[in-house]
Amino acid sequence: MTFLGIPALWRLMMFAGEGHMTRQLRRGRRAVAALLLTAGILSFGYVAVASYVAEQLVYAAPTPIDKTPASLGLRFAYVSFPSRQDHLTLRGWFIPGVLPNGRLTADRAIVVVHGTRTNRESKGDHQLQLTGELAKHGLAVLAFDMRGAGESTPAPLSMGTLEQRDVLGAVDLLHNGPIPMPELGRPRVIGGLGISMGAATLLMAAAREPAIQAVVSDSAYAEVVPLLEREVPKRKVAVLGHVPGGFVPAALVMSRILYDVDYFAARPVDSIATIAPRPLFLIHGLADDYVPLSNFQRLNAAASAPSTAHVTTWLVPKARHAQAFKVTGAEYVTRVVSFFDASLGADRSLTGVAA
Amino acid sequence: MRATRPGLPLVVVLAVAAALLAIATVARVISARAGFLVERESVLVVWLVGLFVAAVLVAWVSRAAFRRASSPLNLWLLALTAVALASPLLLIFAQHPSS
Repeated sequence: MTFLGIPALWRLMMFAGEGHMTRQLRRGRRAVAALLLTAGILSFGYVAVASYVAEQLVYAAPTPIDKTPASLGLRFAYVSFPSRQDHLTLRGWFIPGVLPNGRLTADRAIVVVHGTRTNRESKGDHQLQLTGELAKHGLAVLAFDMRGAGESTPAPLSMGTLEQRDVLGAVDLLHNGPIPMPELGRPRVIGGLGISMGAATLLMAAAREPAIQAVVSDSAYAEVVPLLEREVPKRKVAVLGHVPGGFVPAALVMSRILYDVDYFAARPVDSIATIAPRPLFLIHGLADDYVPLSNFQRLNAAASAPSTAHVTTWLVPKARHAQAFKVTGAEYVTRVVSFFDASLGADRSLTGVAA
Repeated sequence: MRATRPGLPLVVVLAVAAALLAIATVARVISARAGFLVERESVLVVWLVGLFVAAVLVAWVSRAAFRRASSPLNLWLLALTAVALASPLLLIFAQHPSS
């Protein structure tokens, strides 16, 4: 405190020119001086710490990709495409669907969207295995790294607010971009499957993009701010360690001021109703203590509100956050593939292309 | 001039807040050209330095105004400055955690 000169400032404020004043005025001066010093020190300190927390919040170090679809015996093509609107370079795999006769197809393409702090392989929730299963059931898959993840361009983590542009970029690629495997032609229909943050992102993107004709949302949050307010104090922030919860609202505001990351806009619950009449499949683990079940209930209520809504739900017993596929395996694949078959129709490529 | 001096810190607090926001935006736009990894740290450094300069400036102006404050009206203006300074702390009460 001494090196900051605070005691000196205190003395100067307290006693300067008090000689001719009444006792009451002197008291008032001292009270105001104390108020000014306390407010100044606390506010500047609070904002400084919150700014640092914001800087940590908007960054997730990219995780390496160890396996490719080839490890599952699948053919695939590397793809690179721009996000919609801000044109960041995103990288991923295009995996053609495999028909029962062994031929390849791109007739129905599913955009698979990973969760936070992971990538298109996403070991934690076995996403590569899931995409492989979809491909083996005749659905082509575009699995890509969202901004700031895997091999895509470094960018702030916005929990869906900005990442929805990446999903829309993936749709643009399938709709009118360079065809990943020209021999298979362009997909006839596009669906989407997202897990956790990927699900929330996909819901917001699908609300804006009618080309996404069916959506599977696994473990999405209704809005991200309450989740961050609860989870950030549990995590250690570099240098500071655990940060008291009181800093989180300011950190969220600072994220917007410093990095233009608006976590308050990551609210799929506000736009999910717009997905109707397109089919929507909501999946949530009953043992999910990270994104509580209340999120599923809010999303389901909002999505089912329009009279044209077509919402299917599945609450998975014993499944923790984003672990439904890990817990149920084949049943998960059967339910999801059946949903896409019913929503997107059967494969119309007839014979497909030889593998 | 002397009568308005105690109001100066309040004006400075508001001006400094606006200037900080502008500086952060400019820093972000410029550093974003070098990519997010550069932007992320540059913006924070610029902001924290700006915050420190702002704190010194507000302290200096407040001290000068305080020395001239000799009436209740003057003190009220300075108290209002303290409230404006403390306003970011109100965010502490803005939490609404999920279950």
